[in-house]
Amino acid sequence: MNRRKALLAVAHLWGIGLLAAWTRAPAADPGTRQLTDAAGRIVTLPTRVTRVADAWHANNGVVLMLGAADKIVATTAQAQNQPWFRRLYPRIEQVPAAFNAAGEADMEALIGVRPDVILMAYDGTMPRWSGAVSAYHLPIVMMPNRSLAELKTTVRMTGEVLGDSESRIAAEYLRYFDDNIRRVTLVTSKLGPLERPKVLHTASAGVLTVDGRQSVIDDWIAIAGGINAADVVGVGRPVTMEQVAAWNPDVIIVGTAPNQQNRQSILDDPRWRQIKAVKDGRVFVNPSGVYLWDRHSAEAALQVLWAAKTLHPAEFADLDVGQETRKFYETYFHHALSDDELNSILQATPP
Amino acid sequence: MRRSVVVAMIAAPLALLYASLFVGRFTVAPADVARILWSNVYPITHDWPASVETIVMQIRLPRAVLAMFVGAGLAASGSAYQGMFRNPLVSPDILGVTAASAFGAAVALLLSRNALELQAVAFAFGLGGVFCTYLLARVYRTTPILMLVLSGVVVAAFFSALLSGAKYVADPESKLPAITYWLLGSLNGASTRSLAMALPPIIAGSTGLMFLRWQLNVLAMGDEEARSLGVRTEVLKAGVIVCTTLITAACVSVCGIVGWVGLVIPHLGRMLVGPDHRALLPMSLCIGAAYLLLIDDVARTATVGEIPLGILTALIGAPFFAYLLRKTRGTWQ
Repeated sequence: MNRRKALLAVAHLWGIGLLAAWTRAPAADPGTRQLTDAAGRIVTLPTRVTRVADAWHANNGVVLMLGAADKIVATTAQAQNQPWFRRLYPRIEQVPAAFNAAGEADMEALIGVRPDVILMAYDGTMPRWSGAVSAYHLPIVMMPNRSLAELKTTVRMTGEVLGDSESRIAAEYLRYFDDNIRRVTLVTSKLGPLERPKVLHTASAGVLTVDGRQSVIDDWIAIAGGINAADVVGVGRPVTMEQVAAWNPDVIIVGTAPNQQNRQSILDDPRWRQIKAVKDGRVFVNPSGVYLWDRHSAEAALQVLWAAKTLHPAEFADLDVGQETRKFYETYFHHALSDDELNSILQATPP
Repeated sequence: MRRSVVVAMIAAPLALLYASLFVGRFTVAPADVARILWSNVYPITHDWPASVETIVMQIRLPRAVLAMFVGAGLAASGSAYQGMFRNPLVSPDILGVTAASAFGAAVALLLSRNALELQAVAFAFGLGGVFCTYLLARVYRTTPILMLVLSGVVVAAFFSALLSGAKYVADPESKLPAITYWLLGSLNGASTRSLAMALPPIIAGSTGLMFLRWQLNVLAMGDEEARSLGVRTEVLKAGVIVCTTLITAACVSVCGIVGWVGLVIPHLGRMLVGPDHRALLPMSLCIGAAYLLLIDDVARTATVGEIPLGILTALIGAPFFAYLLRKTRGTWQ
């Protein structure tokens, strides 16, 4: 009896060994390439990537911009819920949402769609399911997400993962992005400290939260010639009404859907009435398209222009944000915006 | 109770309320605060900026008043329930009001409703949740304590599951943090309008409890004993449940989940005045009011970002309670 058990065990081990030998890809396979990701890991990818699982909702918009949305085989429910994403790429609703809001993966759905690579935002730790995924030799590429510079890195990396044509579009986009930053900073770098308005960017309604330092938001506020009024670290931090009054921002940008409604509740609330931005009528809604312009979106390239024009209308009198937006969506999303559509994006209302 | 005790316990929260108006992140000269307050009673010339008046009258005052009422209400509900359930571990959320309110609030946040709509929805869900518990617990026209407790557990579990579901579908960039922060508790939503909605149920419920406080003593002896003494226990229990539910649902709907106050302040009260509800209930009201005022002053001034109330009530309250517990060795005066 014991011998039989031992024999079975040996047979079992041998079977596992065989399986492992069969699935392990040799490192120097001519069909693969290597890439270092944001977590500092060396990731081996197939040379041609045709199936992408994108676990980062914001990054799905970047993949769409790079012209590779047809390669998305697994996405997130949040990406599917962006009205403008669905409008420009209706197939996204049919793609399985293998990742939930908490960044957890539905393993069976994920493995079922046989992705060549999984893309994900890196917040300092690997996802819990990364171990399970590596058993199937699915490479995960972690991408950085804490600043505007890192957003650019993410676009470059996404292009590199996807292939040559996507890399070319990424490079072209990054040139455009840098041009916009240069165009804006050429003017804003000459502003004195007193000419820079204090900007408060709200992150949610219902519970008052704001976006602070060390964030994409802080970066574009600085580029656009403003100062982030919120002296806290990180995004979506809760603050008291009195602290907002103490900061007394010159400009308020409402960054959460439904933006128009959230803006109205600020204007209606007597506690906000003495805030400088409200008194001066400088409470704006942040545009929102394929993704929220103010966050890790492809449209961050437009956000710097919009923010500059919003904070300094006189200095940027010759800048036509509407025109730039049309050009951008035409170039990268192959969609000519009608007047209503342009308005829907700039006013952050659903199309 | 000695008259000096009565005076002290009423004066303490009021003095704290006044003092609270002088502290905050926004620097306002104490003289200005005093004059702004005075100008609302007696017309004097306004020589301070309108923004300063907004801080004191629209931000600090409503918030401090709300802290006082929420603290008082939760503490009174806690002591009434601890008596009625004859259990020192009972807190006001035993019948599921908190879980139901929290789910209501999460739904409102998911649907991006504004703060006042959120408050109304959370309040309605809280009342509805306790109503479900009460119906579940009815057996042959009575509501035995054990049935109430178990029904409360069922309803709370059900709404907690729904709440988790709401968090699961919430957008992680905006909605999920909002729900999370709401659940941690905050008085930042306090405005004159939210006060107008929250105070009437809190005042009505507390007044009701004050009227029922001597009967609570009889109820605390157990249903059968109370009945044999001629107390209509079912009516009385229903009355206590209605009062505490009004209070707790109003508190939770306006400031999220603030734990610990309803559980521990009654014990503090008992250490000071003993278990007689005639003295315990008013004492709990006053200590609760003073306690939450003090905690909220820390929550809104200690750091640039707001510290969630739920964290502080326990973080400051627990060591303080531990100290008292050691000192009194758990006995009443």
